[in-house]
Amino acid sequence: MRLLLVEDDRMIGDSLRAALRLEGHAVDWVRDAASAQATLASERFDFVLLDLGLPATAAPGAETRLDGGLDVLRALRARRDATPVIVLTARDGPGDKVAGLDAGADDYLVKPFDLDELGARIRAVLRRQSGRAESTLAVGGVSLDPATRQVTLNGAPVLLSAREFAVLEALMQRPGALLSRAQLEDRLYGWGEEIESNAVSVYIHQLRRKLGADFIQNVRGVGYSVGAR
Amino acid sequence: MNSIRVRVLLTLLGMLAVVALVMGALTYRNVLGETEALFDYQLRQMALSLRDQGEIAPEQASTLNDEQLDVVVQIWTVDGRIIYPPRLRSDLPSRARLGFADIAVDGKTWRTFSVATGDRVIQVAQPLQIRQKLAADAALRSVAPLFLIAPALALVLWWLAARALAPLQRVTDGVKARDELSLQPLPTGGLPDEVAPLVGALNGLLQRLGDSLGAQRAFVADAAHELRSPLTALKLQLQLLQRSPDDGARAEATRALAAGIDRAARLVEQLLSLARAEPGAVMTAPHTMIGLADVVRNAVAETQPYADARGTRIEVDADAPVLVQGDGAALTVLARNLVDNAVRYAPPGSRVDVKVWNDAGVPTLRVDDAGPGIAPADRERVFDRFYRHAAGDESGSGLGLAIVRGIAAQHQAGVTLEDSPLGGLRVVVRFAE
Repeated sequence: MRLLLVEDDRMIGDSLRAALRLEGHAVDWVRDAASAQATLASERFDFVLLDLGLPATAAPGAETRLDGGLDVLRALRARRDATPVIVLTARDGPGDKVAGLDAGADDYLVKPFDLDELGARIRAVLRRQSGRAESTLAVGGVSLDPATRQVTLNGAPVLLSAREFAVLEALMQRPGALLSRAQLEDRLYGWGEEIESNAVSVYIHQLRRKLGADFIQNVRGVGYSVGAR
Repeated sequence: MNSIRVRVLLTLLGMLAVVALVMGALTYRNVLGETEALFDYQLRQMALSLRDQGEIAPEQASTLNDEQLDVVVQIWTVDGRIIYPPRLRSDLPSRARLGFADIAVDGKTWRTFSVATGDRVIQVAQPLQIRQKLAADAALRSVAPLFLIAPALALVLWWLAARALAPLQRVTDGVKARDELSLQPLPTGGLPDEVAPLVGALNGLLQRLGDSLGAQRAFVADAAHELRSPLTALKLQLQLLQRSPDDGARAEATRALAAGIDRAARLVEQLLSLARAEPGAVMTAPHTMIGLADVVRNAVAETQPYADARGTRIEVDADAPVLVQGDGAALTVLARNLVDNAVRYAPPGSRVDVKVWNDAGVPTLRVDDAGPGIAPADRERVFDRFYRHAAGDESGSGLGLAIVRGIAAQHQAGVTLEDSPLGGLRVVVRFAE
């Protein structure tokens, strides 16, 4: 998945980005409210992790506001952008949670939080957003559990790399929908990460080898899909 | 018993007793003097009338013998033979002295008056005791009302004391009702002039306590909030380390965790420094004469590794002997924060100038850097704790200048921010002369 991380603290941002990448997500990271607004206005993300205490701009002297992230969130929702947002806050008073949720957040986490909990909440929000109640994705004989990151083929476990898993998850989240190579690359790489040419083809090839040649369909020049169209 | 009521009451009763004693004694003396003159006159008249009568009539004899009268008449012949009374009484004076006399017989004193006629000596005697008894009775009667009104006075006084002390009781109840969460001032309405200043002083103390407590609470809340970020980073860094799939990632995660621990430790250290530098903090050390140049050199030595890591050159000009009155450890913290800030915000590879000198007799410390500086409009707010000026990569605690100002205030020194010729910020600390 392609994630936007909005967090001004360098160490927290560093660690979160590394951890999310380990889970196979493409993570873009901005550190102030103005950059977050600009990025969200011009690019599409599957998910946003938004710290509430943000400086307005990256300029020296910009004051950190305790609810600077709320402006970003309000602007996003004002554009009728439904991208799921989890708010990260250092304040655990009910007022801050209420303010965050009312401004359009899908969930919140109070710092310091647990990476496992963050992952679970991200999956729960995505599940709610796609209108599914069950936590596993299933297409044909293949089922994928985003929480345990386990993939089975006709009940037998299949071992996938993080990026193979990310490609398969993207395809299985919307069975029948065509995803272009560029869209898949977006899900795999954040800014500044060098995109290996042909990488998507390599991962598709590996997936076909492990899950069966006809599990992933290819419409030449358009993209890839799984399941009935 | 240290009760005002009891003390007032005991004092009153003691005073009443003294008054009664003095009044009784005076009355006794006066009455005694009066009765003496009166009774002496009586004795003399009686003796003279007996002399003039010559003989004692039988009915008069019985009267003279009346024990109730307390007057005893004795008549002797010139040769000492007693002719009256017919029965001899051994408890009476056996000899007469002419005129007035006090004669003791068997421990009992008689007042006598004797006259001599041609052939007889007439003595009229009266126990002296009777006069004392009369005087004592009179004294007692004069004092008695005092003893009668004493309980009433005590009761009234007890009630008065209770009434007068009631405001104190109200103040006591008011103070008891206060706790560390409710330090609102005590009501001052209707308090007597004697108690009002006490309550005023108490209210002043409550006010200062409340302010200090509020500042402490704000500080703790701020500190707790500020600790969240480093702790969040530590938790994430640790979990990242646990999830590291290979040695390279593990090494990177370990390095990040170490940096996170350094940061948290530094924040805690800065919080402690600030707590010591905050107004109202207990002075940690007595002030002595300190060489400011040594303090600054120590501070620079502590910052040197960080400066080396950033390739920043610290130039120290501290050759003049400059003495200030102060706490050496606190002043080192002050200087270190200034030098550390300068290195932190100056671009890597630039220069930081530190100068110590006597500026027209004023001990002065000056630190220049080539960083972004601080706009004049922000120069007051940067002293607020947790105010982070730069949003750049440098993760300062936001406490440095707050600590500097706190320590400077403890040393009656002023801190000013100016533009530096190096292009960044100039901080000048001027101590008292």
